This record gives sequence, structure tokens and C-alpha cells, in this order.
Amino acid sequence: MTARAAVTGIGLVTPVGTAVDEVFDAVCAGRSGLSAPPEDHVLRGVVDVAAFAPPIAADSVIPAKEARLVDRSIVMALRAAEDALADAGLEVGRDVDPYRVAVVVSGVGGLDTLADQAVQRSRRGRLGVSPFMLPGVLPNMAAARTAIKFGIRGYTSSVGTACAAGGQSIGEALRILRAGEADVVVCGCSEAPLFPTFADAFGNALALAKGWPDPATASRPFDRRRNGLVLGEAAGVLVLERPGFARARGASAHADVLGWGATNDAYHPTTPRPDGSSAAASMEIALRDAGLTTADVDYLNAHGTATKAGDAAEAKAITSVFGGAMPPVSSTKGVTGHMLGASGVVEAAIGIAALRHGLLPPTHNLDEPDPSMDLNHVRDKALAAPARTVMSNSFGFGGHNVSVILGRADA
Amino acid sequence: MTAEIRDFLLESLTEMKYSTDGIDEDTVLGPAGADLESLALAELALRVEDRYGVRFEVEEAESFAGLTVGEFCAVVAQRISTSAAT
Repeated sequence: MTARAAVTGIGLVTPVGTAVDEVFDAVCAGRSGLSAPPEDHVLRGVVDVAAFAPPIAADSVIPAKEARLVDRSIVMALRAAEDALADAGLEVGRDVDPYRVAVVVSGVGGLDTLADQAVQRSRRGRLGVSPFMLPGVLPNMAAARTAIKFGIRGYTSSVGTACAAGGQSIGEALRILRAGEADVVVCGCSEAPLFPTFADAFGNALALAKGWPDPATASRPFDRRRNGLVLGEAAGVLVLERPGFARARGASAHADVLGWGATNDAYHPTTPRPDGSSAAASMEIALRDAGLTTADVDYLNAHGTATKAGDAAEAKAITSVFGGAMPPVSSTKGVTGHMLGASGVVEAAIGIAALRHGLLPPTHNLDEPDPSMDLNHVRDKALAAPARTVMSNSFGFGGHNVSVILGRADA
Repeated sequence: MTAEIRDFLLESLTEMKYSTDGIDEDTVLGPAGADLESLALAELALRVEDRYGVRFEVEEAESFAGLTVGEFCAVVAQRISTSAAT
């Protein structure tokens, strides 16, 4: 069994940059990706604040003929996949048998484009619906178009576990490599939730932060005054390889994926189980899977979306797992907002940068830690600390809990 | 009528991001010529239906791939006249 997977490529599209070090600098320095919607954005007047990633022309990643009706989530995924493969220096067909490459790229799919087509349908009837709609919106299309674009012919799929999907895609990739079903897995997640119907769904569910005059202060994980999440858009893709395969082709690893765990709250579709017991179990399973104990974890990147109930349950879960031997904990969503399923991949990349730089990012906007929580917060500024192992949590609507453990490639 | 249909066809191809360079009366719409693939042919049929208020069956839309520009315009013109007569 291959215990580890080497992370040889990283591709990101986030509200705070597209290069790993740029994203890491932003979360360490508190350079916020949150802003009021720009004048010309469809969310103007819909929400006070969101986290916007840079625009990407659809025809820069897929042929112009197909680019007329394709959701931004797919476009961002393809850009991230392209960057990740370039970073890995991997060309499918040249460096690896196309049937020995897998893809697990996830996300909720192109709901914005679907919503727009529904509007066209009600306005114009049958003739308003494009034949190109399905390849432009289906949740498997980020993975499928990644396979098409790069000639990948092995196992392909997408995981549908909402905001846990990115972390779970990394876990699935590790599982595929351990099973010997592929030598390389392109894994990740892309989410484009910044359109009115989706934003209003979160707003009407009372999940969005509100009432903060300075948009940069709206996302406040673990803060006493936190009052909701800030929606963000992002894509993150990692190239994972069997370490032996990576070595044989002369590729170096940014870090290794050591293990993962996944559980379900079995409680409520949107409210987390208040005692955090299933989330705790996910962290414990990940530790066992990686052959580690709590004392081995040097940093925990929390899910920490800044909702009242979510942060409280996660804090309980972390405390129950780590007790008095708690590693430094932070949520980087104070800077990035909540990028839904993509968070798990972006935050894994942040964890990898933390391993490489020996620097742990703080929780931005954590002015007054919630007194009901007993966490070892990283606050105010990044903490210099040599880290060998980091854990990253991702939890999703549906009660999905995923924990991923990353370690230094040389450790 | 066919001249107007031809203009509409070329306009549609441009909007669908297909090149109209070198396209003439004898250019085949499918892979052998203008290179419209299956979804593009379906969209073209939809555009004609929307513009001229006619209806095509699935097999008809698929058969467009084998038609030249001239044949396509004739087929559409005939459908419009049939549909107007009923």
C-alpha cells in the first residue's frame, strides 16, 4: 500500500490570487479578498460583501465554439487544472500513460448558468433553452472537461458533498493512488456561487454575514461577534502522484498527503451536530489513517466559516480530539471568505505553504475570541513555527465532515 | 427567400463562433465543410425554428450535417412555404 501521495502540482484561482505564495502571503498578512460587489456585478445590491476571484475568459480554456454557454465554475476549474499540471511539469501521454491518470474534480456545478437558462425557458419557451446547456452546467463537467482538455483517459468523477467536496476529492485521490488504480490523480474543486439566486438562498437561510460597514471585517471566524459567512468563488486543483512514480520521473513534491477521514453528522441537512462528535471522529480517523497521533499535528486549518453554529460545533470537536495538546488553530476564511467546496483545496494549498515556509497563518478579524470556545488560536499575525504536519478540515451541508492531513515531503 | 436565409445562416454561424471565411453555396455544413458538430447543428435548427416559426424533427436536424449551404437554404425555404400554407 502506498501510504502517502506526493503533491507535485498546485493550481489556484482565488479572491486573493492565483499563485500559492501570493495566496499564502495574503492570508498571513491579512490582505483581505472581501469587498462590496463591483458596480457592474450581478450581486450589486444583493449582498453587502463577497469574495471575488479574477475574471477568466472562457475561450482562454476551451474552444470559442463551446465557450458561449459554459459556467464560470468549469472555466475556473480548467484554469486551475492547467496551472496545476504545468506546476507538476506533467504532460499526459508524454510523462504518463493516459489510462493511468485519474480526475476527481468536484463542485456543485453550473447553477448560475442553469438558473439563467430557467429564466430563458420561462421567457421564450423551448426555444430559449440551449443545446449546449448540459455540458455547460452539469457537476461532472469540470472533471470531464479536464479529461477532454488534457487527454486523460483513466477513472474520472466528481464528488457531491457540498462544502466538503474539495477536501473529499483530495481524500478520494489518495485512495485511488493507494489502491494502485492510477499513478497520477488530478483532484480539486471549483465553485462559482456569486449570483443572486444562490446568494439569496444563503441570505434567506440567515447564513450570511451582515451589518459590517467595512467589507473586509465581515468574515470573522471564531470571533464573539461573528454573524455569518461571506460567499467566495474559487477553484483549486492539485496533482497527486504515487511518490515512487513522481521520483522516477524526476518530479519534486511540494508536500505529501498522509491520510484522511470522512464521516457524516447524521443529524440535519444544514445544521451541524452541536456536540461536533462526528466532526471529531473525522479528525480521529484521519490521524489513524496517517499513522499519527494528536501530538504530531503542528497546525490545524479549521473549516471555520464564521457561522454561529458551525464554528461552535467545530471548536467542540477540535477540543474533544486534541484536548490540552492542541496545535495552533486558524481559519483563513477571514481573508478568503467561504469558497464552498473549493475551500478544502485552497486551504490544503495554504497548509502546504505553511509546511514549506514554517509560518502559520492567523485567523483574520478574530478581535475577540468567542469565550465559549477553548482553542489555541493564531491571532493578529502569522506565527513562525516549523511545521511537519498539518490538518485541514472541511465540512458541508448534508453533515459531511472531511479531514485531510498533509506533511512535509522530506519528513 | 433563400438569400435572406443564407444571410441568416451566416449571421448565425458568426454568433456561434464559426468562421464563415470561404463558405459558399457548395460548402457542407458538417465536418466535411463548415465543421458544425452535433450540438451546433441542433442549435442551428433551433435558431431557424425561432426565426421562421417552423419545426424540425430530430432526424432532420441531424441530416443538416450532410447538406450544403445551398441545400440547407432550399430545405428551410420549402419548410417555410409549407408551414405558411397550412
